[in-house]
Amino acid sequence: TGTLHSLDPLPMQGPELGIQADDIEAPEVEQEPKQEVLENKNVVVQRVHIDGLGRTKEDLLTYEIAEVFRANNLIDVMRKSHEARQKLLRLGIFRKVEVNIDTSRGEDALPNGLDVTFEVTELRRMTGSYNTMVGNNEGSMVLGLRLPNVFGRAEKLTFQFSYGTKETSYGLSFFKPQPGHFERKLKKEKFLFINTTYSKTGSCSFPMWKTNQTLKWEGVWRELGCLGQNASFAIRNESGHSLKSSLSHAMVVDTRNSSILPRKGGLLKIHQELAGYTGGDARFLKEDFEIQLNKTLYWDSVLSASLWGGLLLPFGDAPTCIADRFYLGGPTSIRGFSMYSMGPQSDGDYLGGEAYWAGGLHLYTPLPFRPGRGGFGDLFRTHFFLNAGNLCNLHYGEGPQAHLKKLAECIRWSYGLGIVLRLGNIARLELNYCIPMGVQSGDRICDGIQFGAGIRFL
Amino acid sequence: DLEVEPAAEPWPENATLYQPLKEDQILLSDHASSLAVQAYLRMCGLPVQVLCRVNSEFMSPSGKIPFIHVGNQVVSELGPIVQFTKAKGHSLSDGLDDVQRAEMKAYMELVNNMLLTAELYIQWCDDATAAEISRPRYSSPYSWPLSKILAYQKQWEVRRKMNAIGWGGKTLQQVYEDVSQCCQALSQRLGMQPYFFNKQPTELDALVFGHLFTILTTRLTSSELAERVKSYSNLLSFCRRIEQTYFEDKSS
Repeated sequence: TGTLHSLDPLPMQGPELGIQADDIEAPEVEQEPKQEVLENKNVVVQRVHIDGLGRTKEDLLTYEIAEVFRANNLIDVMRKSHEARQKLLRLGIFRKVEVNIDTSRGEDALPNGLDVTFEVTELRRMTGSYNTMVGNNEGSMVLGLRLPNVFGRAEKLTFQFSYGTKETSYGLSFFKPQPGHFERKLKKEKFLFINTTYSKTGSCSFPMWKTNQTLKWEGVWRELGCLGQNASFAIRNESGHSLKSSLSHAMVVDTRNSSILPRKGGLLKIHQELAGYTGGDARFLKEDFEIQLNKTLYWDSVLSASLWGGLLLPFGDAPTCIADRFYLGGPTSIRGFSMYSMGPQSDGDYLGGEAYWAGGLHLYTPLPFRPGRGGFGDLFRTHFFLNAGNLCNLHYGEGPQAHLKKLAECIRWSYGLGIVLRLGNIARLELNYCIPMGVQSGDRICDGIQFGAGIRFL
Repeated sequence: DLEVEPAAEPWPENATLYQPLKEDQILLSDHASSLAVQAYLRMCGLPVQVLCRVNSEFMSPSGKIPFIHVGNQVVSELGPIVQFTKAKGHSLSDGLDDVQRAEMKAYMELVNNMLLTAELYIQWCDDATAAEISRPRYSSPYSWPLSKILAYQKQWEVRRKMNAIGWGGKTLQQVYEDVSQCCQALSQRLGMQPYFFNKQPTELDALVFGHLFTILTTRLTSSELAERVKSYSNLLSFCRRIEQTYFEDKSS
């Protein structure tokens, strides 16, 4: 067990200090007398122990518990001990933290002195986990291994292996000395594979006024290649290695009551990424935004409107990489079209686009006749939707007028209705009947019944 | 719409050949292979445009340079390209009988097993050449640290292959000896004839030209490799002859 020796109590002023007559009368402060004492019983915290430390180093914890020494009355001691307990738990290295406040004992014990003891139970050295994960129209199983507190100073190390319908990856995350994440991922899509070795260090997130801001740097080594002989030449052209080193910033304002099937509130997300100025081959500026507004109407129905858009602006002569471009279409964006099957393509392989916009208008209502009301039935909603959008490449010599015109012509859109199932607060499933319109040559549609599963829907 | 068999389609005007960047990136072995294919296509009278791409090695279906893009087809390396042109009705070795054809195949194997392997050895297994020429050139299109990773990855891959075929234990001098022996065999077979099979060039001539011409015209850390080839005068005049006949419009 570890023991912390008491710090000298901070000098206090005034008549509160010192031994008072009524204190001497109650030497061993038992539970009952404590309950009689009100806020103005002054105390001095003489010693703070932490019991139960195994591999955790003491110096890590000094800061967390320092405040306790500053308490000068009993309620304050209890409050500060509680706060210190929260801080210790927040380190993520203890399973349980209990606080014991008792009178000081020993030779140098003051009559109004207190000993505070934190009894901690450290987490096991290594824990394993198994999860399943749902992404946009793909699923995967994830095996994880977690080492909290590897060297005794709350260094957290997580190793994760994921195997899914489209993607296999393994990754390593660490929390100290600097927060970082390293991942190697192999993704296969029809005729193209993307093998990325990805490292992200230096990311920080902080609230500012009503928004949440995130800044991060990431370095990604990408290898693209063709799967099979039948890949189109446009895909073959993109094969090879490239390095992306980018700085990005995201701002999120989220006033919704829930992220899946919200009933009110709105979301504004703006994200920009600048690649190439901190090294790497890829040089571009990428902007994208997401807006969503929700309003509850009569009879428990909700009207929801959303708008997405994005722009990829390359610097220099090099063309943009297929891995950086935007994709549109599918049960999670423009319903009625096949997954990512809109826009520029070559021989049936979709190449993505440098600019896009997409909008959706939804009316969510409870199931007709409200079966299973109050229980299971509440997880389902009927929805009527209208989706529209466009995806194309821009020629940057032409100017904004030409670009807007291009995005406004050949708009794809669709409408329909379906059933939505909410899975906890994480994902949603949809089964829709879709009617796609404005289909351009080369787009692949999925008219009629379409099923979608995911976390982010238009 | 009439469906035409791809093999029967005529050779298009826009056929292209892909190789790494000529000035800064391409290495000796790749340049030799690419020149061999270019010579072969010129000998067949088939026009092809040479395009230099940084990622040509990764675009190639077999991972090897060069590859050609003809119509909808992508074919890499001299052997498959010869087969491909034969299916389209162009061939240089039709006039050979079975014995000669077997001989031609044997000499082509010799060039691939000796000359090409020697080129790869000198490029990647000789530390001086690898450090001064091969790694810098191979990694030139990429930024740090990807450049270092890719160059060392390639070097490791080639060294592993050399060990697998038993060349890992050879010294540079032994490799030069092997090159000399190969050149001697070629020189003896060529004799005083203009081409290996007398009057008409075949794919063997294209292959030998590709390798010897590249060796003679590429600057390495030491000129010993070129010197070994130069000691066979009939091979020198063979290279000059093919250059003048088929490449006179371009300066290689």
